[in-house]
Amino acid sequence: MRAAPVLIASVVAFAAMEGVIFHTGLYPWILNPDASTGYVETILRNEQNRPKNGPQVLGIGDSRMLLLPRLSNEHTAETGYTFGTIATAGSSPRSWYYMLRDTDPTARQYRAIVLAVESYDDAEKWVDEADNDADLSYVIPLLGLSDLWEYTWSFHDPKQQWKAARGILFKGLVYKRDFEDLMLDPVSRVRYVKLNRRDAFSWNYGYNGPPDTLVGFHVDWEAKTLTAPPNAAPGLVQNVKGRLFDPLPPESGTRNRYMKYWLGKIYERYRGSPARLIFLRLPRGGFVRPDQPPYHPRSSVRDLAAQPNVTLIEEHFFDPLEKPELFRDELHLNGPGMDRFSLMITQEVSRILGPPR
Amino acid sequence: MLFNTPQFFLFLLVTLGLFYVSPKPLRRWILLIASYFFYMSWNWRFAPLLLSLTVIDYVAAIWMERVESPRRRKLFLVLSLAANLGFLGFFKYYNFLAGMLAEAMRRDPHAFALSIVLPLGISFHTFQSMSYVVDVYRGEQKAIRNPIDYALFIAFFPQLVAGPIVRAREFFANYYNWVPPVSEEKLRGVLWILLGLAKKMALADQFAQIADSYFMNLAAHPGAPAAWSGVGAFAMQIFFDFSGYTDMAIGMALLLGFHFPTNFRRPYLAFSITDFWHRWHISLSRWLRDYLYIPLGGNRHGSLMTYRNLMLTMLLGGLWHGASWNFVIWGGYHGALLGLERVFGRKNFQEPPHWLVYPFRAAMTFVLVCVGWVFFRAATLHDSVYVLQQMFSWHGKGILIPAWLGCMLAVSLVIALLEEKTEWIERLAQGPAWAYVAAVAMLLLSVELIGVTEKAVPFVYFQF
Repeated sequence: MRAAPVLIASVVAFAAMEGVIFHTGLYPWILNPDASTGYVETILRNEQNRPKNGPQVLGIGDSRMLLLPRLSNEHTAETGYTFGTIATAGSSPRSWYYMLRDTDPTARQYRAIVLAVESYDDAEKWVDEADNDADLSYVIPLLGLSDLWEYTWSFHDPKQQWKAARGILFKGLVYKRDFEDLMLDPVSRVRYVKLNRRDAFSWNYGYNGPPDTLVGFHVDWEAKTLTAPPNAAPGLVQNVKGRLFDPLPPESGTRNRYMKYWLGKIYERYRGSPARLIFLRLPRGGFVRPDQPPYHPRSSVRDLAAQPNVTLIEEHFFDPLEKPELFRDELHLNGPGMDRFSLMITQEVSRILGPPR
Repeated sequence: MLFNTPQFFLFLLVTLGLFYVSPKPLRRWILLIASYFFYMSWNWRFAPLLLSLTVIDYVAAIWMERVESPRRRKLFLVLSLAANLGFLGFFKYYNFLAGMLAEAMRRDPHAFALSIVLPLGISFHTFQSMSYVVDVYRGEQKAIRNPIDYALFIAFFPQLVAGPIVRAREFFANYYNWVPPVSEEKLRGVLWILLGLAKKMALADQFAQIADSYFMNLAAHPGAPAAWSGVGAFAMQIFFDFSGYTDMAIGMALLLGFHFPTNFRRPYLAFSITDFWHRWHISLSRWLRDYLYIPLGGNRHGSLMTYRNLMLTMLLGGLWHGASWNFVIWGGYHGALLGLERVFGRKNFQEPPHWLVYPFRAAMTFVLVCVGWVFFRAATLHDSVYVLQQMFSWHGKGILIPAWLGCMLAVSLVIALLEEKTEWIERLAQGPAWAYVAAVAMLLLSVELIGVTEKAVPFVYFQF
């Protein structure tokens, strides 16, 4: 037996096994639907399988993009549009690009993609979003070998680049935790996955949002103090305080570069397609701090707005929702807030698009 | 640079490449430079220490061979041993002895303590050096004249850090008659490396998480099931960790055309403690036998002296592992068990029992070994006593080892039993290509999927 051919055959056999299990839909089928990777898989599969009659509108964003298609679609008869969403908690513009690529491979399925951003000014964050290591677990099933170069170099930290590169090459490394969890109780996992495949769409579609509010919280901007009702959870009080009084990060242009790159890539995908990209600025919270990030005339979305198929919903359109009674925590709308938010999106997007042709 | 890191594999590939493309006279230099680079990548400040020990033993051996007078020969031997044991003693045992002294003087236990970093692999390379000078003194080994050759024997990177402890005559017989590895050896080398990597990352590091969670927070896991599973997890961790390291060392050496002795032979299938020590860390057992037990008198001076020698050897063997009373007790415990087995008839514990009895004897031995591991792993003597109390408390619930890891263990046991009977892993490289290919692919997949890759967990024996 000669060594070189046998060793090459061994590597090929490993690559083939790895490829069959992880680079096809085989393992993603069994992913834990409650973990980030499995959750994204579920959301995307639900959207892909949703019957699409008539012109479609798709929402995307993070956990604050609380568009309820159920409410929007109650108005389909008058608007002519059917709404869906693949907004995912914790997802980032980089992930949105790959999620959209997977959901809408031809870039022609939707009349509009509604992208919810935190700020029209590319407000800086304390951490470099390009190095968000959670991103990889959101999109790992969506990445192929052709993404190796671009996805890897989109991280700035060499450690994250290494992690991304080896993750794309050897997806099992990213699925490891899920696999260990699967091994703990494979029977229950299979049962839960089956249940999820059957019912997850209706669970998400029928979601109502929690009734909790921030009523009872009072802010003294001068003294920089927050008064919370006695029954407020300490964690919530801490988070609201942090959101309102923590210093804002200094402008460095890092986030602007990141947003320009990934929103630019999304735009490139939809250039020349019938879909319009509609950006909205999310409601900022039940209380809005007076020291907002500076106006950025060349921000990613403002630059894109000059393009023919891009529209920015008026920046302060959702300001009426920025009330304590419509927020359940420092970031997220509550049930009634979600209802109003969804209706406002539906009406405004339908107005922008005009009646379907 | 740990064996289980991408950096090490890059280093290995570069070293192998340079070694095989270089002309023969340069190869020893390549290996020596690579070995020192490997050593210095951990802490370059200790390179002079390794170098000075190498020079001392190299010179001492040559002088021992040159001089005629037995007294002067002995003097050189003593000087060399004193240098080795002096360095080892200072780095490894100073704080232990200083602590005892402080306690005896009723002072703060850290009163005389120094902040000492243990040089990598010092326990191993000093033992290897000492065996060489003793062999030269006894006339069993010729002094090595080429300093590069000798320096390579001490610093050879596959076994520098945690063995196996290779005898000079084994190493140089191989070295001076070096032939490039044939295809079967190359395949075997790669297989051993991957097998070792899988043992380390997919099994040892998984069990380490359980053992650590148990031993680092004993109060959180009361009761016998938790104690047995915590100790059992450590038993698995230390075996897969150390034997994994050794497998990798053997594999790397094979790829470079060197043959290292076997260091582990499925120790948890041992049917007695005597048998266990013929299977566990064999190169150390052999060293202790040849350079400690036999020079002490071995079994040549009656039963009582034999027991004394056995006990002394095991106590010192325990102390070799680390400077703490726990290691001494661990050594003493094994010494006592070996003594007991001698009392009840040595033959019964050296020859395999009837196959029907074998599983019970093996299980019994495993339990006894696990009891010993308590002293080895627990941070303090107090912790050891607590764990032992829990193990034999017969109450509590909650096994810490998850079912899937238990299944992995069952698979490993089947593999070990088959290996015990047929040595199929040894012969895999000679068998059909498809079997080898399947084995390598499975090993790689196991490292990928269940190996702990988030961080490189150091090998347990690196601390010794």
